Amino acid sequence: MEKATTTKWRWGVHRWFVLLFIILGYFAARAYPPIRPHVQLAPERLTEHPIVLPVIGEFYLTNTLVATFLVDIILLIIVWVVYRAVQKGELVLGGFAGAMEALLEGIYNMTESAAGKWARAIFPFFATITLMVLVANWMELIPGVDSIGWLEHTAHGGEAAQEIAPGVWALVKAEGEEAHGEGYMVVPWVRVASTDLNFTVALALISVFMTQVIGVKAQGAHYFTKFWNTKNLFTVPVFGAIDFGVGLLELISEFSKVLSFSFRLFGNIFAGSVMLFVIGSLVPVFAQSLVLLLEFFVGVIQALVFGMLTMIFMAQATQGHGEAHEGAHG
Amino acid sequence: MEGNIIEAAKLIGAGLAMIGALGGGIGIGLSAHGAVQGIARNPDAAGQVQTNMILGIAFAEAVAIYCLVVALLILFVF
Repeated sequence: MEKATTTKWRWGVHRWFVLLFIILGYFAARAYPPIRPHVQLAPERLTEHPIVLPVIGEFYLTNTLVATFLVDIILLIIVWVVYRAVQKGELVLGGFAGAMEALLEGIYNMTESAAGKWARAIFPFFATITLMVLVANWMELIPGVDSIGWLEHTAHGGEAAQEIAPGVWALVKAEGEEAHGEGYMVVPWVRVASTDLNFTVALALISVFMTQVIGVKAQGAHYFTKFWNTKNLFTVPVFGAIDFGVGLLELISEFSKVLSFSFRLFGNIFAGSVMLFVIGSLVPVFAQSLVLLLEFFVGVIQALVFGMLTMIFMAQATQGHGEAHEGAHG
Repeated sequence: MEGNIIEAAKLIGAGLAMIGALGGGIGIGLSAHGAVQGIARNPDAAGQVQTNMILGIAFAEAVAIYCLVVALLILFVF
C-alpha cells in the first residue's frame, strides 16, 4: 500500500488549545478585569530600610537587581549545561548545547569578519553582552515578572484590593464610586533588568571604556591621535584645522555613544513593558499575546544590536587611519 | 475628566514629543528600501545584506526611541 510514503493527515491539536485558552481568558477577564499597573521609570525598592554593606555602604535592594541576579543564575545554568555536553566528548552537540554553539559560532563569525585578528579579544565582550541582555530582555515575557509582588498602600493612583486566596491579594476594580485615588498598588518582586537605567548605563560605560582599552592595546599611544589629531594641523593649510576639529568631535561622539547605547536599550524595553501593561489592561483577551510576540523579537534584536555595535566600535578602534580597510575582509 | 493644567500640559507635551518618531519611520523605510534592492540585485548576498539592514534599522530606530523616552519621561517622571 502507499501508506509508507504518504503522511497521514491528522487533526492539529495545538490550535484547539489556543482556542480553549482564549475562551478561558475571556471568562477570566469578565470575572477579574485587569487593572493597569502603576508605571514608573525608576525601579522600585523592595526593602524599607537600606542594607549596609562593608564597602559599598548603604544599599537598597531594587526589583531590577533581583532580576539581574536571576539573569546571572540562568546564565550560570546555561554554562553548566553546555559544559556537561562538551565533557561528554561528542563532536556534534545536540539539544540546548547545540543551539548555544550555533549562536556563539554565528557571533564569532561576525566578529571575525569585522575584526580580523583581534576577534579573540573582542569576541568575549560581544558574546557576554549579547547573552546577558538577551536573557534580561526575555525575562519580561515570563508571566509573574512585573505583576506579582508586594501590595503597597498609596495615597493617590491606587486601586482596591481583594483577597482571592489565604494571604494572596489581587487588585480589582472598585465597585461603585469609592474614593478614587486611595488604594493599593503592586510593587513587583522582579522587574525587567533592562528597564533600569543603572543596568543599561553600566553596560554602555563598560562597552565604551573597553573600546578605548582595546584601541590602546592595538595601536599603543598612537590611538589617542584619533582624538588629538595634530598631524596635519601645521602642514596642510585649512584641512589640518578641520582634521583637528574632527578629532575633537570624535571625543564628544564617544560620550554620545554611552548615551545612545543606554537609551536605545532602555527605551525599547521600557516602552515594550509599558505597552504590555497598557494593552493587557485595555483589551484583556488575546491582544497582549501579539504584543508579547513583538517583544520577543525586540528583545533579540536589541541584544544583538548592543553587542554588534560594541564589536564594530572595538573593531574600528583596532584599525588606524591608513589601514582602514585592511583587516576587514578576511 | 477634571484635573489641573499641569496634567493637561504633561499629556500635550508627551503627544508633541512623539512627532519626532516620524523621522525614525522614514529612516527605517529607507534602510529597508536599500536592503530589498540589494537583495533583488544579488540574492546570494541576502544574508549579509539582511544583517546590515538590521543594524541600520536599529540605528534609525534608536533616534525614534529617544523621542519615546522623552515622552515617557514627561508622562511618568515630571
